[in-house]
Amino acid sequence: MKRAIATLAVLTVMVGCRPRPQTEQNGATDHTKPTTQQPVEGNALPSTVLAPDPGPFQGAEIKNADGTITEGLLSRGEVGKPGGTIKLSTFGGGPKTFNPWTASDVESSGFGYLMFEKLVDIDAWSGKYYGRLAKSFTVSPDNLAYTFTIRKGVKWSDGKPLTVDDVMYTFNEIIGKGYGNSSLRDVLLVRGKFPKIEKLDADTVRFTTAEPFAPLLNGLVVPIAPKHIFEPQIKKGRKDFHGFWDQNTNPSNMVVSGPFKLKRYVAAQRVELERNPNYFMVDKDGKRLPYLDRFVVQIVPEQNTQLLKFLGKELDMLDIRSVRGSDVAQLATKQQALNFSMHNLGPDDGSVFLILNMARRTNPKTKKPYVQTFKQEWFNNQKFRAAVSHAIDRQRIIDNVLKGVGTPLYTAESPAGLFANPDLKPYPQDLEYSATLLKEAGFVKKDDGKLYDSKGHLVEFSLSTNAGNTTRDGICVTITDELKKLGMKVNYQPVDFNMLIDKLETSLDWEGVVMGLSGSRIEPYNGANVWKSNGRLHMFDQRLPNDQGEVLAPDARIWEKQIDELFDKGATTLEFDKRHAIFNEFQQIVFDQQPFIYIESPLDVTAVRNTIANYKPTKFGIFYTPMGSLHNVEEIYLKQPAGQPGAE
Amino acid sequence: MSIPVYMLKRVLQAIPLLFIISIMSFVMLKMAPIDPLAHLRANPAISMSAIKEEEERLGLNKPPVTQYGIWLANLVTGNLGVSVQGADVFILLMQRAGNTMLLSSLSILMTWLIAIPAGIYAAVYRGKIIDKVFGIISAIGMSMPTFLLALLLLMFALATGWFPIGGLTSQDYYDLDAFGQFLDIAHHLVIPVMVLTFVGLAGIQRQMRGNLLEVLRAEYVRTARAKGLPENVVLYRHALRNAINPLLTLFGFEFAALLSGAALTETVLAYPGLGRLTLEAVLTKDMNLVMASLMLGAVMLILGNLIADILLKVADPRISLD
Repeated sequence: MKRAIATLAVLTVMVGCRPRPQTEQNGATDHTKPTTQQPVEGNALPSTVLAPDPGPFQGAEIKNADGTITEGLLSRGEVGKPGGTIKLSTFGGGPKTFNPWTASDVESSGFGYLMFEKLVDIDAWSGKYYGRLAKSFTVSPDNLAYTFTIRKGVKWSDGKPLTVDDVMYTFNEIIGKGYGNSSLRDVLLVRGKFPKIEKLDADTVRFTTAEPFAPLLNGLVVPIAPKHIFEPQIKKGRKDFHGFWDQNTNPSNMVVSGPFKLKRYVAAQRVELERNPNYFMVDKDGKRLPYLDRFVVQIVPEQNTQLLKFLGKELDMLDIRSVRGSDVAQLATKQQALNFSMHNLGPDDGSVFLILNMARRTNPKTKKPYVQTFKQEWFNNQKFRAAVSHAIDRQRIIDNVLKGVGTPLYTAESPAGLFANPDLKPYPQDLEYSATLLKEAGFVKKDDGKLYDSKGHLVEFSLSTNAGNTTRDGICVTITDELKKLGMKVNYQPVDFNMLIDKLETSLDWEGVVMGLSGSRIEPYNGANVWKSNGRLHMFDQRLPNDQGEVLAPDARIWEKQIDELFDKGATTLEFDKRHAIFNEFQQIVFDQQPFIYIESPLDVTAVRNTIANYKPTKFGIFYTPMGSLHNVEEIYLKQPAGQPGAE
Repeated sequence: MSIPVYMLKRVLQAIPLLFIISIMSFVMLKMAPIDPLAHLRANPAISMSAIKEEEERLGLNKPPVTQYGIWLANLVTGNLGVSVQGADVFILLMQRAGNTMLLSSLSILMTWLIAIPAGIYAAVYRGKIIDKVFGIISAIGMSMPTFLLALLLLMFALATGWFPIGGLTSQDYYDLDAFGQFLDIAHHLVIPVMVLTFVGLAGIQRQMRGNLLEVLRAEYVRTARAKGLPENVVLYRHALRNAINPLLTLFGFEFAALLSGAALTETVLAYPGLGRLTLEAVLTKDMNLVMASLMLGAVMLILGNLIADILLKVADPRISLD
């Protein structure tokens, strides 16, 4: 069925082609205009207006009912009314577990953010790290030691104190010993070694690394676990840990520190969260947050159904990634009638790109090359890849496929990222330039209109993407069409996601693929898995582990080695400007070599009922669903008095 | 052969059959070039060691024969294993089985309640306007893709506000009293039952009509009419009993469908059923879950056929069980 819907969507895309506005005109692009600020044409999408920065968080002394004091945080939003339920949805299969330390999917991790506090977090406005459970933190002059002072008197939802011991236990035992999702440990490894974690006194903990490690703070943005609950559990062993707090858990067994706590999981229907009365944040009137009593997330497996539910007022909000480009125009016309507003948060950190299989190795099992030798020569020719890149009309893709809800992309860091390289200029489609590049590389376009390489092989290759993704489907159709103008014969065939990943990462049986990857707005080193030549997601030339399980890259190209070095340097350099220069250089290499031919980055758009107050979307305050753009979820309140018998 | 002995024989025959089905399903699934951990692999935030641990935990790094052996050994002890996501397959199936059973039994009931009288009516008034109307409705039901019908009905629900848009329960379901809960579920079931009834209607209505027409042409019906029996007696006592046999076989298949679910309808309508679970499992090659679903389907089919055969014997004494 997904495929059927995809076909329908492609048809509408083709029918809906309208003449392109703006783009090229003169070959030299308008350098004054960065891509991020390009106005979106042709629909009523609001321009990017984000809430003004209220400045950093202030501390607040909260008096508890038992007379103790909690060193909490003071809300930065306006004072609101307590009570009520917010109705959200998640598109997909729902959370797989409520244990954020085993979670490896975005939905489960998203629920973790709602239920658990972290030591540090990223400020939604400035993109800088600040203390959450940590009242303050300092970095030693040699950049090796990070000292955190924990807030006093913070309580778990069961009333037990949250202390340094919980922090120590989370990092030393759960994460450090690789229980659950060991990626949480691996991002903290500095040359294979986990940081040393010591308790200095009752409120202070110190993390020491063997050498300076810039991504450390990013790796510490992890929920802190209640030691008194997990200690007996961990003694039962690893196998049990994975099933602890899973979907079938009894919610009353859960102990949380975040604004909400699991109340009920109704399989394949919805997750109901309720207010944590012990949360450590108050508003300016001293009222305990969160305002909302309940936070309900419906599980909807189909995006069209999700849209209908929002239009039918069964949902209060469609968060980022739930509003598709093709929905924007329809939604925009209904804002007044259905009392909601749309918000444009600017480009997403994810990217969509085209890759050509550059593997030059032989499959040890079949003794045949992964890619036919003459095709290897094309894909490994920088001029060939550049010709393909210049032949793609990104603006047309944005206009026709994404309905304007996207940004053309040319670089490895999306414009949303802190480390995007501003010197890399966008270039328009230029088929003549592509033809010149191909000619220089020895390709000949014969009288039959087809392109041949210097040895007389017809340039023909397969292109694939994951079936059911209408955007990528439309992109592939457009690319196939553009490359045909160069004389290339591209055979497009979508395959199912799990099958595509098998080709990309295991069998290496592919030629061209359009894929997307999520990125990070804050930490470019998170791309190490993709960019290091022995990386696990080094998709354009994936090297497979040998019998010992090691991934070696003896055939790495010079520029791949340069990227390896830059990533290593970027990891050990803490000063922002120096880091930026390092990652700029990396982006320059990718821009020149085109191993990933970047195409677009979608815009993050949300649609929010006007009864939701204190909604303040920002560029950096974006999490996995269902938290999504609700970075200040504890401050969100409902304008209507609570307890109204509202429409179901 | 008496019925209990016959049943025992059929159950014994089913065991090797199920064994063969399980091997075939396993081999076909294993051969599919699908990566069950694709979502982990495509996520840059997941490290290599985390993927290795998942492979180890799920036994994916063992040779297929060993994996099958583990699966079979677990099955014999009543353990269906865990899904890729780590949840117990038995619990996953149980969570959904009730919902699917509810939806499919209601739809089957509605289908038969409408289709049988409609079929009879159409046969009796063959060629008349009413027969043609039923014919058109059946044709639409047969040719309309279910997901499209489901989507159209959702739009109808949105436009009128009469029905909830997908799901099985409202979010305040657990705050309602028992009667309120009953009404809430009934309210949510209207659209899914309508979709599945409409789709299932055509086949049975046409079958009923065809069978009855054939019987009505038989000589004993002519004899009965010649004897001067009232038309009602001819129709309902003589013709119908003979026309119902092929439908009993159909009923066996319908029984098998009780637990197989309707994946597309469930997905579009956000209905928490087994079909959706199985479809997601197949697409991600969730071995334990798919195998459990397939085996469940096979058992239900064998059971359905058995029930149909016994019903046939009861309905028609001429049929021998040997």
